[in-house]
Amino acid sequence: MTATLGRFLILASVLVSTTGAFIAYAAGAKRSPEGLKWSQRFAYAFAGLMVLATGVMEYALITHDFSVQYVAHVGSTQVPLWVTIVSLWSSLEGSILFWGFILGIYIAATTWVNRNQHQEYMPFAIGTWLSCGAFFSFLIAGPANPFLSVSPVPLEGPGPNPLLQNHLLMIIHPPMLYLGYVGMTIPFGFAAAALLRGRLGQSFLRPLRASLLLPWVFLTIAIMLGGWWAYEVLGWGGYWAWDPVENASLLPWLTATAALHSAIVMERRGVLKGWTVTLIQASFLLTILGTFMTRSGVFNSVHSFTQSAIGPTILIFLTAVLLFSVILLAFRIDSLESEGRIESAVSREGMFLVNNLFFVVFTFTVLVGTVFPLVVEAVKGKQMSVGRPYFDAMVVPVGTALLFLLGVGPALPWGKVTRKEMLRALLPPLITGAIALIIGYAFGVRSGWTLVTLLFGGYAAHVTFAQMWLPLRQRLKKGDAFAPALIDTQLRRGRRRFGGYVVHAGAVIVFVAIAVSSTMRTQQEVTLTRGQSTTFAGKTVTFLGSEERTEPHRQSTIARFNITKNGKTVATMEPRMNQYAAMREPIGTPAVYSTIGGDYYLSIMNLQGDQVGLLIINMPMVGWIWGAVLLMGAGGLIALIPARRRTYVVVPEPLATVPDEVVA
Amino acid sequence: MAAAEFVVRLIRGVNWTVLVTGIIIVATVVFVLVAGLGKDPQHIDSPLVGKPAPPFALKAVNTGETIDLESLRGKPVIVNFWATWCGPCYLEHPTLVANARQLPDVQFIGVVFNDTEDKINRFLAERGNAYPTLLDANGKTAIAYGVGGVPETYFINAAGTIVAKFEGPMSTEILQENLAKALR
Amino acid sequence: MIATFFLLALLQIKVPDAAAIVGQPEGVPLSGQQLERRTMAISAELRCPVCQGLAIGDSPSIMAANMKAQVRELLERGYTEEQILSYFEKSYGQFVLLKPKFQGVNALVWILPIAVLAIGFVLVVSKAKKLEAAPVAAAPEEQVDDPYLARVREMVEKS
Repeated sequence: MTATLGRFLILASVLVSTTGAFIAYAAGAKRSPEGLKWSQRFAYAFAGLMVLATGVMEYALITHDFSVQYVAHVGSTQVPLWVTIVSLWSSLEGSILFWGFILGIYIAATTWVNRNQHQEYMPFAIGTWLSCGAFFSFLIAGPANPFLSVSPVPLEGPGPNPLLQNHLLMIIHPPMLYLGYVGMTIPFGFAAAALLRGRLGQSFLRPLRASLLLPWVFLTIAIMLGGWWAYEVLGWGGYWAWDPVENASLLPWLTATAALHSAIVMERRGVLKGWTVTLIQASFLLTILGTFMTRSGVFNSVHSFTQSAIGPTILIFLTAVLLFSVILLAFRIDSLESEGRIESAVSREGMFLVNNLFFVVFTFTVLVGTVFPLVVEAVKGKQMSVGRPYFDAMVVPVGTALLFLLGVGPALPWGKVTRKEMLRALLPPLITGAIALIIGYAFGVRSGWTLVTLLFGGYAAHVTFAQMWLPLRQRLKKGDAFAPALIDTQLRRGRRRFGGYVVHAGAVIVFVAIAVSSTMRTQQEVTLTRGQSTTFAGKTVTFLGSEERTEPHRQSTIARFNITKNGKTVATMEPRMNQYAAMREPIGTPAVYSTIGGDYYLSIMNLQGDQVGLLIINMPMVGWIWGAVLLMGAGGLIALIPARRRTYVVVPEPLATVPDEVVA
Repeated sequence: MAAAEFVVRLIRGVNWTVLVTGIIIVATVVFVLVAGLGKDPQHIDSPLVGKPAPPFALKAVNTGETIDLESLRGKPVIVNFWATWCGPCYLEHPTLVANARQLPDVQFIGVVFNDTEDKINRFLAERGNAYPTLLDANGKTAIAYGVGGVPETYFINAAGTIVAKFEGPMSTEILQENLAKALR
Repeated sequence: MIATFFLLALLQIKVPDAAAIVGQPEGVPLSGQQLERRTMAISAELRCPVCQGLAIGDSPSIMAANMKAQVRELLERGYTEEQILSYFEKSYGQFVLLKPKFQGVNALVWILPIAVLAIGFVLVVSKAKKLEAAPVAAAPEEQVDDPYLARVREMVEKS
């Protein structure tokens, strides 16, 4: 019964979204207000159906209804409730349903927020969103149907992938990632609307930018969570391996960040409209490519699913949206360009252009590296690998260049700059950069790259804080009181600006922390028998013994260690070696002792009774990466808080026919 | 000729740079991804296929004699790398034993690495013992053969050239299929 | 080390040796801290054949541990990085090299991003010049979308 209900809801959503898309596009072409109303209704209906279908699936999961195929795949009466709830997104079919759920909510929310505005754009936007919704509904109804019936009904299920039950991060990472990924559909719809209409008005910039910034925040945090999870759970002591699926999450983030920056130039000077729209389209297209990479089984990755009909279906959709985007762009891009100009290439505007260049090169490099083995195999039939050494070598210089721009860009003023102004803007932060470099050197940093990163980072930090507090300083100079001026400039009026600089501050910390944690990292492999100790990085590690623990899905051997520093015990760490019933090789779970200074990381290489082969890693400043990315997300959220500006136009008496209040 | 006018207007309104660049990108991406479909990313082609099998001489576990690969030339040889801690090896062993008994003209050899003689003997007692099992103490032979995981099976023809490599648990059909290559 | 060889020779056990595959060592035998560092460095460039893209230095699998031990041994005997990588390439194929070799088609993966950077730089400079040279127009065009706002502005301007 549940399965049938689910299937019905999904089929209904296919119908509703397809019909809604047609109606919306027609409404846009005919500029019909009635058509717009109906488009909105269909948008809400689609969202409602998706929410209901997801609710039905969760109900089936929680009640362990094994007659539903997905529940039979991932359900189990043996696992705790929270595992059951999150198993909705633990496996392929459920995760696509989850995608549809999030898409529905995004569409409904955006439609509702803009229900009385931008009437010329909204129908086209809704049409595009519902077309994407139609595809995902079709995917759920067809190749990835979780609601198929199983007969005979089994009494028990295998439970979700054991790796996913290991850690709290596994619960938040997928929803965050989906909120980021799926959210890119919304600005894509807006961009398509602007192209279809042949215009991108200044008033439309705000919703376009906001709809890009919100998923950006989620995606930023999601990428960090993925890295953090890899670090805490996988045991090799790193947080980023340039795995194809990791790259898939990074690619749209890079183009979205570039788009957010070029949108600023678009707002200020009215130029780069076509380019910004292209980047927004690219961000969405890369999410579809990303989901293809993850689900098609074509790429060799930790995340891979096996090949099925889903791969070709997504590929067809990807081709369709690629063609749609290219054709739309080719026909309309020229009509978007307005008669804007910039006063000088050496200015903040010019720096934005260079910033975009580096982001594009970054994106291209990661994309090429990821698909290159596929190309070579297709063309020459030979297999080769493109791994971490390649990406690190190619990406690090680009990242360093971006850090450089992070400092120099905001330092330069808008518009034409005299030589004197330029020196006055660019020279003082060098002092802070030099101080950062000296501090690093004093702490033992010897790597050239890290020293350069500290120099640029210090420089950028100086510029970021100077710019952040600039409005406040101007007010104080005028004689305003401190506290009200602070709240007014940063939190009431200048949220976008303040939020942006908070993001930059976080980014500077991320760059520096990555450089320091990679180059100042030390490790030691040692074999200890019970009772034996070793000293490394200022701490003494004593092997206390091991114990076996059997759980329903895995057999674990836990090794206990006592960590002392200067004679005092600071921690007891328990890394373990897990042999899952389902996997060929054992997987280790490391133990991590985190402090502000850095992490002390223990990972078991082999464990035989009273003898353990241990890998100890000392990684300074790693924890700063997670915190700084959260700061970036917070900055984005601050910038998102809408400025509810109502412009009241007081009109003289005779014009009483005009409404009293015009909302701008 | 409103249609012709429409087409002309359409063509004139197009930004050709964008269109051509875009189509090239789309075509490349689609070509690459379509080519990727249908290939198993887990399967790695062995560079040793078609090359002479790396020579080795290892001690057999139960008999204690040393078996030299060179001395087996003249007969097709099937070398199966396995270990007692490997699940699929446990499953495939009886198939290998049965085939070994049925094909006296083919020399079967098992090579085990990272394991102890006790465990191996117990395994063989339980799953069958029809051909020599050699001990590769530190996995060097496995490395020379490009073994990644277990089980992996190499088919060598009478001249000493590797004609095929199969990764994963063996079945009789797969064995026959690859053996045919060695018998040619 | 020598004792092992002697013993193995006694038992007439032969394993495929690096010498047969890549010739004599061309470098200096390493030991101690430097040996460990070089082992780690080279292990980061070899791919674990059964894992999903991990280097042998990072992988917990048994074969990866064997390969790492082999790297260490070859370094002790004085083989250079090139020889060691070549040794593994002969058995496992180019697949095992995490850093693509700069030869043939593979060179493209190194060249393309740099080419894009160069071309992109040229495009950016030309675009910046074009934008600089654009005629000075009025403030960014007020594309007024809201009909009410347009009407009100009109009336305000008239009054």
